[in-house]
Amino acid sequence: MTQTQSAPPATWSPPAPSTGTTQSAARTGSRRNAIAQWFEGTPGRMRAFLILAAVASILFGIAAAQGHAQSSGALERAEANAAQLVRIQEIHTNLVSANADATNAFLVGGLEPPAQRQHFVDSMAAAARLISEASTAQPADQNVLGQLNTTLITYNGLIEQARANNRQGLPIGSQYLKDANAVLQDDSLPLVNALVQANQKRVDDEFDGVSHGTIWVLVGGLLALVVFGITLRWLARRTHRYLNIPIVVGAALILIVTIMGGVSLSSASGAASDTRSDAYAKTLALSTARIAAYDARSNESLTLIARGSGDAFDKAFNDAAGVVDDQLGKASGTTDGLQDLWGKYTDVHKKIRTADTNGNWDGAVDMAVGRTNTADNSVTTFKAFDEQSADQLQSTSDDVASRLADARSSIRLFGWLGLPIGILAALLVAWGMSQRLEEYR
Amino acid sequence: MKKLIPLAVATALLLTACSSGNYAATQIPAEPQAAPTTSTTPAPPRPCPDGVDALASYAPDASTPAPLGEMPAGSFMADIKARGRLIAGVSADSLNLGSRNPLTGKIEGFDIDMINAVAAAIFPDAATNPNRVELRVISSPQRIPSLTAAKNPVDIVARNMTINCDRWHDIAFSAEYYRSGQKTLVPRDSTATSVTELNGKTICAPRGSTSLANLKKKNPQVVPITADTDTGCLVLFQQGKAYGISGDDTVLAGDAAQDPYARVITTERFSEEPYGLGISLLHPEFVRFVNVVLQQMKDSGAWKTSYDKWLKAALGPAPVPPKAIYGRVPVKQ
Repeated sequence: MTQTQSAPPATWSPPAPSTGTTQSAARTGSRRNAIAQWFEGTPGRMRAFLILAAVASILFGIAAAQGHAQSSGALERAEANAAQLVRIQEIHTNLVSANADATNAFLVGGLEPPAQRQHFVDSMAAAARLISEASTAQPADQNVLGQLNTTLITYNGLIEQARANNRQGLPIGSQYLKDANAVLQDDSLPLVNALVQANQKRVDDEFDGVSHGTIWVLVGGLLALVVFGITLRWLARRTHRYLNIPIVVGAALILIVTIMGGVSLSSASGAASDTRSDAYAKTLALSTARIAAYDARSNESLTLIARGSGDAFDKAFNDAAGVVDDQLGKASGTTDGLQDLWGKYTDVHKKIRTADTNGNWDGAVDMAVGRTNTADNSVTTFKAFDEQSADQLQSTSDDVASRLADARSSIRLFGWLGLPIGILAALLVAWGMSQRLEEYR
Repeated sequence: MKKLIPLAVATALLLTACSSGNYAATQIPAEPQAAPTTSTTPAPPRPCPDGVDALASYAPDASTPAPLGEMPAGSFMADIKARGRLIAGVSADSLNLGSRNPLTGKIEGFDIDMINAVAAAIFPDAATNPNRVELRVISSPQRIPSLTAAKNPVDIVARNMTINCDRWHDIAFSAEYYRSGQKTLVPRDSTATSVTELNGKTICAPRGSTSLANLKKKNPQVVPITADTDTGCLVLFQQGKAYGISGDDTVLAGDAAQDPYARVITTERFSEEPYGLGISLLHPEFVRFVNVVLQQMKDSGAWKTSYDKWLKAALGPAPVPPKAIYGRVPVKQ
């Protein structure tokens, strides 16, 4: 910034030659002369500075608007993607919960308890509804969601065939159930996992993008202030008046808006990153815990169905239960009582395993399907955990949405101010400069 | 300078990652690559280790206790009695042999009756106490491994298991308790009268079963497809993925009973499948004891009662129970 004096005119003089073509040299020459005359001498320089400062003001206004749009858009998209992620996790939960019902009902025999059947139907219906919602909410997920729907139709078909055969007392029903379980595990859930990963990445990217809005505002504000500073310094030297009030006011406005924008955008991005590490992390942990819990519950039934050949399922139960403990630990603070409830369920599970390994398969099944009236009832203990965790998941995911919406509304004032203030500053420059230009008339 | 401005704006846009919410489509995960099926040709069946007839089991001797008698100390029967229950590996999906009744949840059938008889010979209260027998559901390929497992093996396997020399290398068998044979199940409207007429058709047999080997031997022109269990084959048949099923007549009878659109080619029986109860080679005294129990069932008519209950409807009137053959001497393990 050493050649400040000469640089501005150089910037603005070149446009003239480009208009000059071979057609009419004389006319071009006169037009060039007129433009050159306009920028000639001190008044010409003043005009050049006026244009430069006005353009810088407008550019600042645009940068401020862009910065706001960037932060606000990232917040909005983070909220939308987090909602989509919760939706996908809910699809996952509904599917594993339906499968847990189906496998557990198989232990009971051909006559399913109506409540359990209803829960299965409700879960599948909820999953179907959520899939269509999710594909409207995120077009990028449509392809995979469509594929997921296809596998679920196969799954549902196999389940119904299993039920129909079971109802008639034909052992082939169990084979259809096994195949249905395999379709869910091998075909459907990998698709759900791909969706979870893609949406998690989108949420992370948008959270990262919230702070980028601040860069626009600070860089735009700083450049505009430098141009204003140069203009004021030049004016002070040429006109021997220390301050040109309107231009100073314009610079002050830009400074205030820059500071205000920087502060409000960075506090919004701070709020976003707090949400990310707190409410959002808890939401993720809770929904992962719920999915793992249902998975464990299915494996409890499958271990019993396999009657002694279920080591692999029992191992899967332990893995899933480990995930539940782990995730509940991560979400601690909001998970009041959840660990206790989960502990009660795993205590019953241990009793079921003990009964089964001691050869009391019937006793184990009675506990697993809830035919016992004592506290050793896998159905009621699991239900308590399920309901409590569903409530808490709802409240944490609402919390994420409302905190991101708050952060967005906190920067709304700045978003409205940016461009008008830029235009106002440009007008102030024109006013201030024209006062000085008057003196040359 | 003028050229620099758009460049700077473009860089700024890039730097701030100004995403507009147009995301790349979520990718469908790649299908897990099926492990390359190492098509190792199965080892040819081994001849009997001692050259004795495959059907020959260990003869009961003076030390073999009578049913419900005092179990000799140190014998495997004494161990079972001390444990309080007999652990048996069975099928839960072969109708009439060993299948779970969806209405009661109980596993029942001809094979299960054999297990119950053995349990009743050890525990006086076996008929009234269901916890005296622990039924473990095993698949066809699991039959031998479940007996030889180091950790938590089963005591006895009753799962339509054919006695042959190859298997005598790994486990011991009781005397024969039923003579089955391999037949073919086809769609109701099929005109085939023999498996030799099914060239190019997909025929299902359980993995690792003698049925599969026999089928390939009988007609190499069929396209074999495998499932884990007999019922897995029936599902493939119902879904149109298999044209027919090859297997023991007992199993096919159960399959046909569950599907009115299936019929068994009754005129052709292309193998002999003598069923025996599988027991670990480590417990010859238990094999002898089980042989006593089986002989008693055949003599007392309990065998016929069980046959009539489970198999008569599908396979006709009861044949004479297979005669027990003895003469094998346990090898010291």
